[in-house]
Amino acid sequence: MMMGPRLRKLALTTHVVCSVGFVGAVAAFLVLAAVGLTGDDMRTVAAAYIAMELTTWSLIVPLSFAALVTGLVQSLGTPWGLVRHYWVLTKLVLTVFTTIILLLQTSGIGYMAALARTAAAPAPELRGLRSSLVMHAAGGLVVLLMITALSTFKPRGLTRYGWRRLREHKLPPRA
Amino acid sequence: MSDKYPGAPRWAKLTGVIALAMLVLLIVLLVAGIGGPHGPGRHLPGARDTGAAAPREVPAPSK
Repeated sequence: MMMGPRLRKLALTTHVVCSVGFVGAVAAFLVLAAVGLTGDDMRTVAAAYIAMELTTWSLIVPLSFAALVTGLVQSLGTPWGLVRHYWVLTKLVLTVFTTIILLLQTSGIGYMAALARTAAAPAPELRGLRSSLVMHAAGGLVVLLMITALSTFKPRGLTRYGWRRLREHKLPPRA
Repeated sequence: MSDKYPGAPRWAKLTGVIALAMLVLLIVLLVAGIGGPHGPGRHLPGARDTGAAAPREVPAPSK
């Protein structure tokens, strides 16, 4: 079902807000993860891990799903379609991939936050986990910026399905 | 309009090749065991080399 112009603009605005909010929340998470890895003051480090868990569950996870759902609505309710243009398809694959990696990271984030609430300082053997959180947040941010660039540049290119649909619309109806 | 599908654009092919190469590299690393198992629990204490999920209980703080 195609959306009308007003509804389409409302859906686009919602999608942009959710997507850009997702990027901003991951950027804030990256700052906290870097403080957790390199900070000298143990109370600041502990506070960073607790804030990371709060940010993850109150902002990052909801915004990732909101960006995905509003993106699906936006593509299915407009002539862009979901699998007609390579840039839309690429955005979908990257967003799903980012959301899966994010959900896989939540156990480590929760562990560090729980440890920060009980222990005075993070154990030295957890340096691998702390580095991993920084690396995954940085990687996630790069992927999200790529998704944002795809949305604005909209590089040309129809999929085989998109090309067939376009051709069906351009050809005169068969007798 | 031509009857023949013009094919995927260069940027889409390049993106696909890079994604495929990264996937193959990841599979090779996992199969060869280079760098140890990769998973959300690989860095957690108690997970050792199993790549298991995070433990529910947090160890008691050291005094």
